[in-house]
Amino acid sequence: MVRAKRQQQDIAETSLRSSSRKRDREEIDETEETEESTPSKRRSGRPGASTRLNNSHSEYDFPSDDDKQAKPTGQETPRKRGRPPGNTTHNGIGVASTPRGRKGKGITVVTPSRTRGIVNGETPRRLRNDRSARKKSARALIEKVIAGISSDEEADEDIAREIYESSEEDEVGEDATDGHHGKEDTEEIPDEPATPSRKPRGRTKGKKGTRTHKKSPTPPRDLPPHELYFAQNRPGTAKTSNNTLASLKLLTHEEYFSLLRDYKDPHEVDIEFLDSIHVQSFPQWAFELSQGFSVCLYGYGSKRALLHKFAKHVYDTISDHNTHRIVIINGYVRANMSSLRDILSVIVGAIDPKHKLAAGGPSVMIENLKSLLSAHDITITVVLNSIDAAPLRRPGFQSILAHLAAHSQIQFVCSADTPDFTLLWDSSLRSSFSFVFHDCTTFSPFTTELEVVDDVHELLGRKARRVGGKEGVAYVLRSLTENARNLYRLLVGEVLVAMDDEADSSGENPGVEYRMIYNKAVEEFICSSEMAFRTLLKEWAFSSRKL
Amino acid sequence: MASPEGVEEGYDEKQHQAAYIFDPSGDTDETTRPVKRRRVSKRLDTSEAHNTKRASSFQCLLQGAESEQAMKLRQEIFEKLWSVIDSRIHSILRETNQSTLQEVTSFLQNAPDHTPKGKIPSAFIITGPNIASQDLLFEQLSETLQHEAKAQVARLRSGDASNLRAVLRKIIHDIISKDSTDGEDLDLTTSKDGRKFLNYDLEALHTHLKLTPRRNLVIIAFQDSEAFDSGLLSDLISLLSSWLDRIPFAFLFGVATSVELFEARLLKSTCQILYGDQFDVEQTASIIDKIFKTAVAHSEIPLSFGPNLIGSFLERQREQVASIHDFIRSLKYAYMCHFYANPLSLLVPDGLNSGALQPEHIEILRCLPSFRRAVETAVENNSTIQAKQLFEDDSKLIGYLVDCLRERRQWIIKLLRILKIFTASKAVTADFADLYMDASYNGFDLSGQYDQFFDSIKRMEPCDSEGYVSQVLDTMQQGDRSLGLDPWAAEAPETVALLSDILAGIKQLRSDAEDQGHVLRSKYSGQSKILRTTVVAQKVQLSQDTAALTDHDKSYTDLIHRFLEHLETTMRVEGAYDMPFNEVWLYDSKTPYKEVFIPRPRNVLERALSRPHDYLGCSCCKTSEDQIAPTLPTTAILYRLYLETGSLINAADIWSAYYAVVGEDNEDGLDERTALILFYRSMAEMKAMGFIKQSRKKADHMAKVAWKGL
Repeated sequence: MVRAKRQQQDIAETSLRSSSRKRDREEIDETEETEESTPSKRRSGRPGASTRLNNSHSEYDFPSDDDKQAKPTGQETPRKRGRPPGNTTHNGIGVASTPRGRKGKGITVVTPSRTRGIVNGETPRRLRNDRSARKKSARALIEKVIAGISSDEEADEDIAREIYESSEEDEVGEDATDGHHGKEDTEEIPDEPATPSRKPRGRTKGKKGTRTHKKSPTPPRDLPPHELYFAQNRPGTAKTSNNTLASLKLLTHEEYFSLLRDYKDPHEVDIEFLDSIHVQSFPQWAFELSQGFSVCLYGYGSKRALLHKFAKHVYDTISDHNTHRIVIINGYVRANMSSLRDILSVIVGAIDPKHKLAAGGPSVMIENLKSLLSAHDITITVVLNSIDAAPLRRPGFQSILAHLAAHSQIQFVCSADTPDFTLLWDSSLRSSFSFVFHDCTTFSPFTTELEVVDDVHELLGRKARRVGGKEGVAYVLRSLTENARNLYRLLVGEVLVAMDDEADSSGENPGVEYRMIYNKAVEEFICSSEMAFRTLLKEWAFSSRKL
Repeated sequence: MASPEGVEEGYDEKQHQAAYIFDPSGDTDETTRPVKRRRVSKRLDTSEAHNTKRASSFQCLLQGAESEQAMKLRQEIFEKLWSVIDSRIHSILRETNQSTLQEVTSFLQNAPDHTPKGKIPSAFIITGPNIASQDLLFEQLSETLQHEAKAQVARLRSGDASNLRAVLRKIIHDIISKDSTDGEDLDLTTSKDGRKFLNYDLEALHTHLKLTPRRNLVIIAFQDSEAFDSGLLSDLISLLSSWLDRIPFAFLFGVATSVELFEARLLKSTCQILYGDQFDVEQTASIIDKIFKTAVAHSEIPLSFGPNLIGSFLERQREQVASIHDFIRSLKYAYMCHFYANPLSLLVPDGLNSGALQPEHIEILRCLPSFRRAVETAVENNSTIQAKQLFEDDSKLIGYLVDCLRERRQWIIKLLRILKIFTASKAVTADFADLYMDASYNGFDLSGQYDQFFDSIKRMEPCDSEGYVSQVLDTMQQGDRSLGLDPWAAEAPETVALLSDILAGIKQLRSDAEDQGHVLRSKYSGQSKILRTTVVAQKVQLSQDTAALTDHDKSYTDLIHRFLEHLETTMRVEGAYDMPFNEVWLYDSKTPYKEVFIPRPRNVLERALSRPHDYLGCSCCKTSEDQIAPTLPTTAILYRLYLETGSLINAADIWSAYYAVVGEDNEDGLDERTALILFYRSMAEMKAMGFIKQSRKKADHMAKVAWKGL
């Protein structure tokens, strides 16, 4: 934290540096002063109020005529100017020394003190600097108490107090620049109490105004990308309004889908035109596939419909459907976690419907699949929608797909939706995929790929309306025994039938006969006794509560 | 929606399925069942079926005017040519690893005899950084070792090795399952006495090996050994070494950096268990060079690639450490492009198929820029009648075409010979590939940019020039098999005579000069100019003098002159672009290659979103860069707004900004709820594309994750 602040300080404007130099000087003055007067007090660790008071006098003393010079030339930083008026007021309380002599002494001391500061190691000094803002405001407050408060200064004191408190917060706060700003404020303001007029303060404000102007939320136009990144990521600029979507009634699933059905995209014709252009390259893709390349389509928009058409195109050109099959995989389907097995077993089913995929890990499955493929004279075209969808990003998945794509009897077509999908593969995976990439920007909306309402609500940090959603149902179902699942299927089927029957007759909840269900369950060997049936039902009542 | 509603609805159910067999005709049961039954009988005509299927993969060009015959010709030529090249490349690849394979095999075969007791023989194979080519090497290794050393090989990749148990399980499973490939169930979990083994118990492997005594080594190959967790590797090695008295282990390590670095990562005690040797694999660069010579520069290759394309291939190899397979694939893709898209490609091997030319082809031929240039030069040379004939008479044109295409072969051979002679000089340090690219593009002309070479020959010391001349003679007599260059000394007897004459002359002069205690030099050799300092009246005078040449020197200079003259007249060839009809056999287009192999998906996406007009081509969205038109696709509008935000985005603000653009206040504005569904949809898309994510810093805020153009 401190380090960060220090670096910040180093980079910060010269005015700040000059002020810190001053503080150095001030410190030196302080130590000298204490050495001169009361060493014991210094040793007490926390400098006593009187020394502090002395300090400030001595410090405030010397630039007094500096001030007179500075004002006409206007070369000094405003802060320097800001301070002197205070000195003059305090002069009244007076230390027994002429300003001039003081000044001379101050200058001679400055140089050694700086070097000493460096020799001793910067950190402790800087540490003090960081705290000094707070300390100064504390000092100012104490000064007030001792020197007696004129009513005119009360407002300033309030500010000092406020800063004292706020800088306490700043130290906790994580935003380095904000802390930095706060400190600057405190640096200014402790001097304030000594200032009768508000002029200097106004000026420093003005100066700060120009500084913050640079950090206006809208960066200048036509910045190169990297500059824009830094402009938008500058710490402290992430200021957004406090508006929330509270006033807006968020969409429900029903509303979303019903409205979407009625909505007509004004670009429909253009999108179809774009699509027709892509359709023209179907033969080319087919040629690339036949030459052992895999095809990967990328670009904005859903490519599912396009790939579906492509699958149809391939299907139509196949002369013998027994030696060439097409398997479509939907990578975006989220619910099933065991989808790798599902996918591979579908492919196995396409090769030989009677064969069962060997049990075991992914590598075993793929070996099994490969040997099965080599045993059959068949070509499989695998069409994979969204190869970069979240479920397929799990480790190990892509390497299995690469193995699949590398097989000479597999033709592999896939689509990718995200802009950074190439990061999924290292060079060896990429090499075994042997992709050719095509820009297929379709502009057609993602329909089944996304669960729009849930996604947006999750994005906004709202609870999804559908508890658990599809994943939840699948999870609970998977945790149940085979029999319980079958019973549920039976039950739901019966209820649906009953609802259909009674839909036109009455609006009441349809009922299903207990006996009938039991009989059917026994028929299907779901349960053998009524006891077991009841247990299953009870389990259902329990787990449906979970659903 | 882009596709007709009917289709969409029909497959609605399947959209949510993870995977399914695509079959638009519906009843899968009908079609799947006969597969089994008919499979055997089908075998016969599958090749035929494949052919018909492939035949349709090419398209008729010239807007469909191309005849089917021409199209099929193109395809046949492509397949024939590529299969030849492919087999050549594969034989090269097989050869390159051969020596390594043999060394490793012999080391491991003899390992049990000379390995000290208690140590594991291990072969460190320095593969270099190209992990993509490792697979092939290790596959070959395991095959050879299995056959020749009677060993069992388990290949491990760092991905398989998450922990010790998983590694052991994989090793045991791999070795046991490899032995029982003949279909019998692998029963590796029970021993003879009925005891059950855990699947990571090496005892299981031990019992299994006892049952199959014909194998004598168990080799474990760590393909990418640097990527393994070093602690895990040490554990594994020490564990395996403790089983060494029962199971004869041996290791293969694929090392990308150096053995020293690898050793430093292991425990000292582990290193002491290993007893090994280091083997080098031929590095990618030299393999690429070989492939370049056989597949690109070879004299029998009928298709040439221009420097643009080949340059970018090689650049990709060097800069992106792409694998050799990527290089081969790029080559293949270039072939595919040429034959797929160029209607004239059917003429490729020396214009043999000129009979299949259609009137459309001939029209194209007459429009070719290279042909036009040839005609223009003919007109300049006052052979107007011939030029005219080429335009009027199709048969004349075809005759000329075939002549030109045949000339290409001569051109290639000449080019390669010149390059060969050129590279025989020690002064040439450039890559063969670079030289080839340059020479084939610009032609070769000693008086032009190659005058440095010319100069260096001039200044050669007698011994060097003697060496060079004899080397040139050698090259002429040997040819170069890797380039398909036959010896051509017999073709040019006068050249041979001249060169041997010069060679004998130089030899004679040298020995004569030596006898006289004199060093032979030519007019041009380094020390021919002598700086003289004379002191005249306490002033230093500098004067340059040409040292007097002896008679020997003069005759040597003459010989060099003769040699140079000869070189200058013979080493002259025009660039590929100056050949008439080079469009038929020259392919030099970077465009499909770059986009297809090195895509820039981010730029494409950003472009689509910031300038949708480029893709949609609609009239409504054609605005200048900064304007946000309400007609833009929703995501495009949101993307524009998104670009302006800082790293934290207030959802409420972006919604109101969006609504201000499309809302009811505008002309044909949307009502709030409709705007909201579009907003929702686009937000979900932006999230899916990884532009935004949830942020917990503030209520209803999102974090920006991607910046345009970075």
